[in-house]
Amino acid sequence: MSDTKARRWFAPQNRSETIAGLLFILPALVGFLVFVAGPMVATVVLSLTKYDLLSPPKFIGLANFQRLWGDQRLWKIFGNTGLFALFAVLGNVGLGIVLAVLLNRRMPAPLKYVYRAAYFFPSLVGLVFVAVIWQFLFQKDIGIINFYLGQLGVGPVGWLSNPNVALVSVIILDVWKNVGFAMLIAMAGLQNISSDYYDAAKVDGASAFSMFWRITIPLLSPTILFLLTMNTIGAFKVFESIVVLTNGGPGDATRSLVMYIYEQGFKSLNMGYASAISLLLLAVIVVITALQFFLSRRWAFYE
Amino acid sequence: MSDVVLQAAGRAASRSRWKILLRRSANWLIYGVLGLGALLMVAPFLWMFTTSLRPMREAFSLPPRWLPGLDATVESYQRLLSSTVPMGKFFLNSLTISATVTLGYVATTTIAGYAFARLRFPFKNAIFAILLLSMMVPLQTTVVPLFLLMRWLGLVDTQWAITLPGLTGAFAPGMSGVFGIFLMRQFFLTLPTDLFEASRIDGAGQFRTFWSVALPLAKAQIAALSVIIFTVTWNDYFMPLIFLNSIDKMTLPVGIMSLREPVGNSSAMSEVIAAVALSVLPVLVAFLVAQRWIVDSFIRAGVKG
Repeated sequence: MSDTKARRWFAPQNRSETIAGLLFILPALVGFLVFVAGPMVATVVLSLTKYDLLSPPKFIGLANFQRLWGDQRLWKIFGNTGLFALFAVLGNVGLGIVLAVLLNRRMPAPLKYVYRAAYFFPSLVGLVFVAVIWQFLFQKDIGIINFYLGQLGVGPVGWLSNPNVALVSVIILDVWKNVGFAMLIAMAGLQNISSDYYDAAKVDGASAFSMFWRITIPLLSPTILFLLTMNTIGAFKVFESIVVLTNGGPGDATRSLVMYIYEQGFKSLNMGYASAISLLLLAVIVVITALQFFLSRRWAFYE
Repeated sequence: MSDVVLQAAGRAASRSRWKILLRRSANWLIYGVLGLGALLMVAPFLWMFTTSLRPMREAFSLPPRWLPGLDATVESYQRLLSSTVPMGKFFLNSLTISATVTLGYVATTTIAGYAFARLRFPFKNAIFAILLLSMMVPLQTTVVPLFLLMRWLGLVDTQWAITLPGLTGAFAPGMSGVFGIFLMRQFFLTLPTDLFEASRIDGAGQFRTFWSVALPLAKAQIAALSVIIFTVTWNDYFMPLIFLNSIDKMTLPVGIMSLREPVGNSSAMSEVIAAVALSVLPVLVAFLVAQRWIVDSFIRAGVKG
């Protein structure tokens, strides 16, 4: 800051505002520097070291990233996380929009109220709590899902023990839990679409189906993009539902990136390697956010 | 001539009658499908409450029961509360941590949001841009150094490790601090400038203007933010898992995880179900009492945040 600028900020008529502004942001700024920015920089530094808490950190250059590249487990786990994210996001956002459109119709008020409450309630409850409930429901022998499937003549499914099915179970739980939130946000987005569009389309004899694709979806696109981004970032951080349901197993069939960070950092005490994996996760999130930013300029339709 | 017109009108009327009938039955079909889905959403909770009230011996026997019968009993709750597991302590820890984080987070982010919306000070836009960028950085990517920092400060296995970042508005568990700053800034930007001008002309200081002009108008927004921060902190598992070790320091989610045993032991399973039921119950009651308000809070934050 140049001298004259500084003088202007602290000139008598501006001084109180400048000081107040700086004071008002001070607590949050200090908190940010100490607990967010500092650790962020430290993650980068730590990723270049070997550190096990016992002996002092040792600088090893890019060795952690080389190890990352050759780590078979990591790529399996990365694949799990990506697959989970893909289907969880499609399920949450897709079903959420469908539910929002259906609930947005004219219907008896009490019915609407009860339905909205029922769909939204699971989003409020802690993931660990609901995952414990679902773990019982998913049990092979005593679980009620298999009980009802058995009545339909479908043999017992190893929801949590079959490596090909376990990830599906995690996705089912995620969609059940989070679809209501997507629905709520989509409903709020629908409220902002003027009914004039639909009235005009009706005059032109448009069908409900074509109105959905040609009016609702384009006008809802900012909301959809927001939901896609939020859900994708959230999905890449998946952790506690898997810890409860399968603890990553069978084998590594359902292990997620955050579980691997936790395992490497806090169980094996490879603080340096855990930091390198953290940066990989961060890179994914940065790419998704950047993508959203550019897509929102090209694709999203703003009135 | 008139005959033809009448006939056509009659045909049109019957056609529209058909249309109405068709639309009505389509409506009922949609209500039915939505109702079935809604039932699926509540079924796990219903099963949990019913199972927690069944006699422990046969709580998990099939076919499942959906409503408590005449043999309903609270023995799983009694077993749980008389066991060595400090459920009361978990509950209290969850409550104090969530309340502390909410209070600190909402206070610091509200006043910072106000400054970014209403005051001029050096580097304002640059600082705000950096904060916004940091919103991308999830706690999970900085948790290793954060743990080392807390260890260095001697705060591991104390509530401070979780509450301190919240108190300074850096982040609440699972929610970046910038979220609150941004939400409040957007709100304060919607207030008319005249309000603040008038207060300034009256000779009120900056803090006074914030306190007695801006704050009262922001009540609903602050309430919405508080609901969300309290909920995410109450539900969080990651921070307590990393930072708390002793059983009497734990919150409900980590406490419940510590009490789990391999599936198969029926009485242990009943206790777990009872513990989960006790954790979900306050959320359910709060939701039933203040549904509209809670839902509005999430919409406010979700749409603007």
